[in-house]
Amino acid sequence: MGAGLLASMEFSNPDMVHNIPQMSMPHLRMWHVNGVAIGWLSMGYVGAIFHMVPTLCKNKLHSERLGNLTMWAWNLLMVGAFCTLLNGNTEGREYAELGALLDVMAVIALLLITYNVWMTVVTRRVQKLYVSLWYFLGSLFWFPLVYIIGQRTFVSLPGLNDAIVGWFYGHNILGMWFTTVGVGMMYYLLPRFTQAPLYSHGLSMLGFWGIALFYAPTGTHHITQSPVPEWLKAIAIISSIFLLVPVLTVLTNFFMTMKGRWQMVVTDLPLRFAVTSCMFYLVTCTQGPFQATRWVNWYLHFTQWVVGHAHLALLGTFSFILTSAIYYSLPRLTGKEWHSEGLIRAHYWLKFLGFLLMMSSLTTAGLIQSAGWFMGIPIDQWSNTLGPYWFLRAISGVMIVTGQLIFFYNVVKSFYTSEGTAVKAKAREVKV
Amino acid sequence: MNGFGYRLGAIGIISTFFIIIFSTVLMPMVLFKPKDSDSFNNYKAMSGVGDPIRGRKIYIREGCLYCHTQFTRLQDRGYGPLVKAGDFNYETPHQLGTARTGPDLTNEGGRFPSEWQKAHLIQPRAVKPGSIMPSFSYLNNRDMNDLVAYIQTLGNGRKVEHYVEAPAEYMPSTWTGQELAKNRHVNTNDDASANAGRGIYTQNCAACHGLEGYGNGPNSISLMKKPANFSRPFYKQYSDEMWYYRIAEGVPGTRMPRFAWKLTPEEMWYLVAYLKTLPQEQEVTINSVEQLDKIEHIKLPKLTEQQFEPHHGNH
Repeated sequence: MGAGLLASMEFSNPDMVHNIPQMSMPHLRMWHVNGVAIGWLSMGYVGAIFHMVPTLCKNKLHSERLGNLTMWAWNLLMVGAFCTLLNGNTEGREYAELGALLDVMAVIALLLITYNVWMTVVTRRVQKLYVSLWYFLGSLFWFPLVYIIGQRTFVSLPGLNDAIVGWFYGHNILGMWFTTVGVGMMYYLLPRFTQAPLYSHGLSMLGFWGIALFYAPTGTHHITQSPVPEWLKAIAIISSIFLLVPVLTVLTNFFMTMKGRWQMVVTDLPLRFAVTSCMFYLVTCTQGPFQATRWVNWYLHFTQWVVGHAHLALLGTFSFILTSAIYYSLPRLTGKEWHSEGLIRAHYWLKFLGFLLMMSSLTTAGLIQSAGWFMGIPIDQWSNTLGPYWFLRAISGVMIVTGQLIFFYNVVKSFYTSEGTAVKAKAREVKV
Repeated sequence: MNGFGYRLGAIGIISTFFIIIFSTVLMPMVLFKPKDSDSFNNYKAMSGVGDPIRGRKIYIREGCLYCHTQFTRLQDRGYGPLVKAGDFNYETPHQLGTARTGPDLTNEGGRFPSEWQKAHLIQPRAVKPGSIMPSFSYLNNRDMNDLVAYIQTLGNGRKVEHYVEAPAEYMPSTWTGQELAKNRHVNTNDDASANAGRGIYTQNCAACHGLEGYGNGPNSISLMKKPANFSRPFYKQYSDEMWYYRIAEGVPGTRMPRFAWKLTPEEMWYLVAYLKTLPQEQEVTINSVEQLDKIEHIKLPKLTEQQFEPHHGNH
């Protein structure tokens, strides 16, 4: 995120960092995307899965040593990614930049994680699988699959086929990993926070299988205006629109669970993170299908609107639900209360307002850009008008990074306090 | 609950999932094999100082694809002809790109001289004021030459004939364009019309674009984006419709207003007639391009002499 901030500052002040290849904007962008996707979100997700799956199965993780091993492997991977990407050692495939060695490492770590979680579920002590488990198991099945297909490290496809597979990966790392685990976490967290049963198990199953069916072929909607086969574009666009079905079922389920309990958002901060995430999920997933249609895509493609949409998904929705999960599970894992509720509050507002600012400035910039492309005017004639929006985005970046630093401070402080306050958190643990 | 029925459904849906993956990942690879077009980027054709194949690796290493796309769309004007499926057979990994923070580079080869490209890579703002492209001054000379060689091969064989083209609604191909042509009673090639346009120009345009159209009117001093210098060869490519469109709709992001709100269509057509008579600047040709820069062997379009700011004045 720090890299994202630096990159955004370079947009408004391109000569700020000069002559340092490691800090030039494209290199920062590679690191920003990989750091957020593979580092922050994926690592956080696996952490949350390792906490939630055993509690849902009422047993221990299959092998904690294996869990630790994968954790170190993943961190090593991120160190490797940091060193290579900032020097431009990239495969040149967007979202699949990591080099061959790191890819192999990631796949091995992923398969180990999958094995670990699946074995935990196989040896469970509850008969029925809660819907979150469906989501986690599904994601851990899809993500290695998508990763292996999508990396294209050892194959060399002709350009457009490369693009087709590339977008299969680029969209499904979002759809079959970030979305599905994120939604699984929402399913886990909302009933826990509100102490209320889930509105409907049947609806949740419909949502799960809907996502499983409709997400996989959507990737090609990223290149609807390139010369790839029309039938592929048609499949992608139609299934993108069909994605509204699982999204609306999932959200109906959440909002009906919340019914009569909305006032809890005022006092319960982790719940507030989760509910904000649900709201942003609604916005992202209504934006998405419409952007995928040819006529909207025709106007909005290639602009910062899309960047705003990506941030809405990864920052607004999945980062928020992950933060909520961390706020929920850390006290239960360490047996220590959070150091300060005020800091959680500050984190929430900085991140929330920072994100709203980022979203609105990127969206406006995107509309200006698309108007420029639409009028067919050379870009250097209207690029100046975007200046204020680049600047606003940099400010929003400062707010979000400050929020995350506060969060980090809060985590560290909570870890290194005495055991005195531990009892309360333990007592609040409720089993399903 | 009947566990078996549940499992049957699950198996059915998982197999459907695999069929979908098969149809969207494997099937395109089998079915979609476009033949080479005659307009793909031919990196082998280049010989000389720079190596375009290595340049492509530099392009990838420096992450140019995050801001520059490499495919033109139906609605893009001024970026050359539409790409064909066969253009991309040798583009691995693909550099289609996702965002156009900078311009499209599909047909970039030959649009600017190599020295311009080099200067632009070292300090973009020296040749394009207001650009937000990062400086790539840290590239060594070899990398730089290769990268420029790569950029110059882009769009090989599909050279841009017209950089400027009025939007469809001004062209006779659409009903709005036909309507426009029907109501046009001014002969823009006529001296009398040009004379009529002269007064309109002096009243409305000269304050920024200068009396002779050099883009050096008194207002230009305070403008961040300098007014257009009509003596540039770039503007000699303008069609009547393009001139009319520019005058009518202005240029967003600059101080150029929409004159359709102020002038009548007839006045704008007179203005077009006058603008077409403005002289082209003295041609400065480089006699020894080969000596100046050996990379420059592909044939350059008419814009060769434009070293700086193709569309605007250089004050």
